[in-house]
Amino acid sequence: MADNAWWASALSEAVNNGKPLAVVCNGEELALFRDRQGQAFALEDRCPHRRVPLSLGCVVESGIQCGYHGWTFDGASGACTAIPNLHANERVPARYAARAYSVAERNGFVHVWLGEDEPNESVPAATYLPEGREYTGAATVSIQHEEYLAAMLDGPHCLISFDAVRMTDFFLGDPCLKDNHLVLDRGAVWSTKVLPPQFVVDYPLIVRTSVPVCGGDIRVDLLTEEETPLCTVFIASGANRRGTTSLCWRGFLHRSEGGVAPLRWRAARRAQRPPFRVHSHVDGEALAALLVAPSRDLDRLRDQSLIPVRAAV
Amino acid sequence: MHTVSTNDTVAGQRSKRPSDWTPVNYDLHDTWFPVSHSRDVSSRPIRRIIHSQPYFLWRENGISQAAEFHPSRLAALRHASSAFTGGSGSYPVIERYGYIWAWYGNPDHADIQLLPHIPFLPLDGNIPGYTQRTVRFDASSALSVENLIDLTHADFLHANTIGDGISESDVVEVEWTSETVTRTRMVTQKSVAPVMRWVGGIRAKYQDFRAVLHIHLRSNVCISYPRFRPGYDVPNLQPFLPVGRHRSRCDVTFNTTAAPSPFRYLMPRINYIIQPQDNSVVRPQNQRYLDESDRRDLHSRFDAPGTRYRYQMEQLAKRQRRGDFSYGTDAEPGRDITTLLGMDG
Ligand code: FES
Ligand SMILES: [Fe+2]
Repeated sequence: MADNAWWASALSEAVNNGKPLAVVCNGEELALFRDRQGQAFALEDRCPHRRVPLSLGCVVESGIQCGYHGWTFDGASGACTAIPNLHANERVPARYAARAYSVAERNGFVHVWLGEDEPNESVPAATYLPEGREYTGAATVSIQHEEYLAAMLDGPHCLISFDAVRMTDFFLGDPCLKDNHLVLDRGAVWSTKVLPPQFVVDYPLIVRTSVPVCGGDIRVDLLTEEETPLCTVFIASGANRRGTTSLCWRGFLHRSEGGVAPLRWRAARRAQRPPFRVHSHVDGEALAALLVAPSRDLDRLRDQSLIPVRAAV
Repeated sequence: MHTVSTNDTVAGQRSKRPSDWTPVNYDLHDTWFPVSHSRDVSSRPIRRIIHSQPYFLWRENGISQAAEFHPSRLAALRHASSAFTGGSGSYPVIERYGYIWAWYGNPDHADIQLLPHIPFLPLDGNIPGYTQRTVRFDASSALSVENLIDLTHADFLHANTIGDGISESDVVEVEWTSETVTRTRMVTQKSVAPVMRWVGGIRAKYQDFRAVLHIHLRSNVCISYPRFRPGYDVPNLQPFLPVGRHRSRCDVTFNTTAAPSPFRYLMPRINYIIQPQDNSVVRPQNQRYLDESDRRDLHSRFDAPGTRYRYQMEQLAKRQRRGDFSYGTDAEPGRDITTLLGMDG
């Protein structure tokens, strides 16, 4: 079910027309690359000739040339367009092809359609509309993908931190379902304030996490108590091998910072220090200590969304 | 998952198709394996592995020994020995061509006649140490042999060392028996390989080249005779020892003793450059050949030697699965291959 979806699988700037980029997205091994015109493509990272990863090859005009015997595969169709040393009158059989995936690039992310059905229009990163300077990165974290999504609701402090901000686990309500995402607010305080969070009457900050019921697009917003956005982070996640999770992210500061932020925050922003950090190492102890709370809704919704599929069988 | 590679089969014919190539699981019995260079075996035992089976090697009064257990424990553990040693704990072993050859299979079938003939190595193994090297492959031995038999990858993977470039004519022939596959390649007027030019001192622009590769299927013993004119002969033995389903080792000998220095010394070491290049592809390949798949490999006509190798291996494996370990009448592993290798031409 989650297979029939667009997955943001890489940052645009990581995909180029020289060396293919190997990624694992929702368990699928892919080789991503661009042609000279900048168009991005995705092929299965497996040469149909002798099963060598195509990402070991190099990008040529019309696609990827495998590094082992030099067969060339077209980026859009996957068709094998050339086998070296064939005579001029010899043709590559039409059925010779690598598996090709539909690609859509939007707002700095390369999306790949993983599924049998015709791709739809709703690309995850379409909702991510950066202003000004962006802070980006990629990592593979040693936590299973569904657990990563659950922890994003139960305890995002294990996975991401905002500069000079302390997140609490006081959930401001229950998760609500919006566009197939569970959205949850929690209170947060400036860590520069002397007063510990338990003595704060009303939290000056909100951390809002939005976690997909299916797919991998996560959004984390830091807001003022008036819901003025300060910082937005879009994290594309997906299952990698051995229960790890691939991540790539982009985030930015909103211009509407206002006068609410403490001096330390504002000074660090002027110095262009990153306003957030997506953890590439997850603290197992902290993770294990997380109580299962709002993520229960995620499990429940996933079970429900499976019903139509089962009924169809 | 939709598969574009081999889905043009009419439904119902599927069962008639040959099964997928899963060489990683082959375990062919009743053959001699060159399990070690002679010079690596002394009175102090070493341990080598064939198909996950331990081979302890050492010398007693200069005579090579091979056993399932360390000699210090042999007496105590003999009762636990396997069918590979017929309950004695000791494998049949023989020393030839600078190698210790150990028998893998039913020890009653061990026969010196089944030892391959290697015309370019001295029977008594008297050859300088610089000709011998050990390399390891992170893949099963059959995939490593496939890599060696395959000619078309040199242009891509080894472009900087033995890369081919353009030639006037390039003819490849394959012949086989139930136990061997032989590939012969004849190239005329090919641009001189970088290693020949820079190290071999060949100043000519073009050279003719004839290379014969003779493969013993059971043991993965690859006997290779490349001849370059102008240039040198680089006869070599590359025996891929099947350590297990995921790893193999190769104790090679490059008999360059007739070539001038420094080529003579450097050529045997070229494996240290070529092997990591080959390993970079066979290593990720291996896990994809463990289980049978519906997605069959695609072939080009350049793969003819390789597909023949696959087919012959499959026939042999089938025969052994039926319990037939005998050598066919067409197979004489020990026959003289001087002419086959083109050494007398
Ligand atoms: S494995 Fe890709 S071209 Fe041969
Ligand atoms: Fe090679």
